[in-house]
Amino acid sequence: MIKLKNVTKTYKRGADDEVVALKDVSLEVGKGEFVFVVGPSGSGKSTFMKLLTREQLPDAGEIYVAGKDLTSLRSWKIPALRREIGYVFQDFKLLPNKSVSENVAFALEVIGKGRREIQRRVPEVLELVGLEDKTGAMPHELSGGQQQRVSIARAFVNNPRILLCDEPTGNLDPSTSVGIMKLLDRINRTGATVVMATHDQHIVDSMRRRVIELENGVVVRDQSRGVYGYAG
Amino acid sequence: MSARWRYIIQESAKGLRRNPLMTVAVILSITVSLTLLGATLLLRDQIDLATDDWVEQVEVSIFLCDGTTCPPITDEQQETLRRDLEDQPVVEEVIYESKEEAYERFSELFKDQPNMLEIVEPDILPASFRVSLVDPDEFLIIRDQFEAYPGVEDIVDQREILTQFLNFTRIVRNGALAIAVIQLAAAALLIGNTILMSAFARREQTAIMKLVGASNWYIRLPFLMEAVITGLLGALVSWGLLYGVVPRVTEGLSQEVLLMPFIGVTEVIAAGPPLLLAGFGIAAISSIVALWFFQDS
Repeated sequence: MIKLKNVTKTYKRGADDEVVALKDVSLEVGKGEFVFVVGPSGSGKSTFMKLLTREQLPDAGEIYVAGKDLTSLRSWKIPALRREIGYVFQDFKLLPNKSVSENVAFALEVIGKGRREIQRRVPEVLELVGLEDKTGAMPHELSGGQQQRVSIARAFVNNPRILLCDEPTGNLDPSTSVGIMKLLDRINRTGATVVMATHDQHIVDSMRRRVIELENGVVVRDQSRGVYGYAG
Repeated sequence: MSARWRYIIQESAKGLRRNPLMTVAVILSITVSLTLLGATLLLRDQIDLATDDWVEQVEVSIFLCDGTTCPPITDEQQETLRRDLEDQPVVEEVIYESKEEAYERFSELFKDQPNMLEIVEPDILPASFRVSLVDPDEFLIIRDQFEAYPGVEDIVDQREILTQFLNFTRIVRNGALAIAVIQLAAAALLIGNTILMSAFARREQTAIMKLVGASNWYIRLPFLMEAVITGLLGALVSWGLLYGVVPRVTEGLSQEVLLMPFIGVTEVIAAGPPLLLAGFGIAAISSIVALWFFQDS
């Protein structure tokens, strides 16, 4: 589902100053896998996620996502790639002037889905995330955990094959985070590949899923059924 | 499809309402530039119309002596003059205008100015040969050949008067065109800036649209529509201004200046489509460029 081959990405800071975000990274994530990407700030997690959505291009190497070669993907085909990927942010990024169901419906409207499909699909996915009784609420009326559920509903409403989550529990307290992880696990069981960048040691340790650890742009560990650090 | 279009129209309306003063400023700026542009188009029409009519009528007037400044022309001299004129290959037609006919034409021209008629006595105006040329540029040949003929008082190229008028009109037109172009550039910058502000105000929404895979034209179309609507509104207002003002002015002028035809409502109506196209074009181009910058930043 996701494949990186010798991917290198550097950022220029001024004329001579270069920051290596990813250095010769090769890895593969299969269909239906659940993967944690861990590592300290600046280890290259964000760059990794941005490369997968084709927000950025690598300086060297090859990237394949959902069967598409991202390095040779024409820019007008990027929207089609992103319809295969759901994206969950740390800060939810809900539209404050739209209700819960409008926020979710928005993701379908702007890719041109018909009204009938939207009316069928939005309640379905809101039930999946457990917000069927909050459909008319505005984002500011919801707790952080509820807002993140809306954000996940929006990411998943189009049935993407891949769900990318960038620190989805970063703004939530531990007990709320557990609920979010259960939800992501349930989505993973429907067949979606889930890639989650995180700092949250407890979550990684309790889930016992594949862990890819980055440090200074290099994969220092790739372990199935792993924990956050070597010490456990 | 209809849900998509509803979204696009709603979003453009939102953009227009977000900052009504800015919207009005943009529309006014487009109105001013397109009114000037329209004026230059109409001046060109006016020049074309006047030139056609004048050039067709262009004549060389050969005034004949009547005894006031030179000895009066004899019938024989007049006959020789006419024959030689008709034999001259560059001459198309020769018409004799007697003193009475000259006065008649004069009274017709100045019928609204009685004091002019009082000053000019019927026998003051000289008789003349009005000569039309195959090629109006051959005036010098006529002057050189016939200047020295006995009984010829003066030879006047009527086209010279026309040339002066046309030169004046061209200066006015070019000046208006230059101002129109500068104004148009200012309007384009204003539109670009407004669209940038509009895009910036909605950057979160746009970012989400991009990530869920909305196509680029779908993201940009509301902004484009917003600009195009202001562009077309500006064009409509300028068209309306020209429609209200120009026919009145030319009607007034045509009562003052009898020698020349003037443009009217028809030409002003015909100027509409180019104005709308210009309004559409300037709005579309400047907003596309602005969005291109926005996406790059």
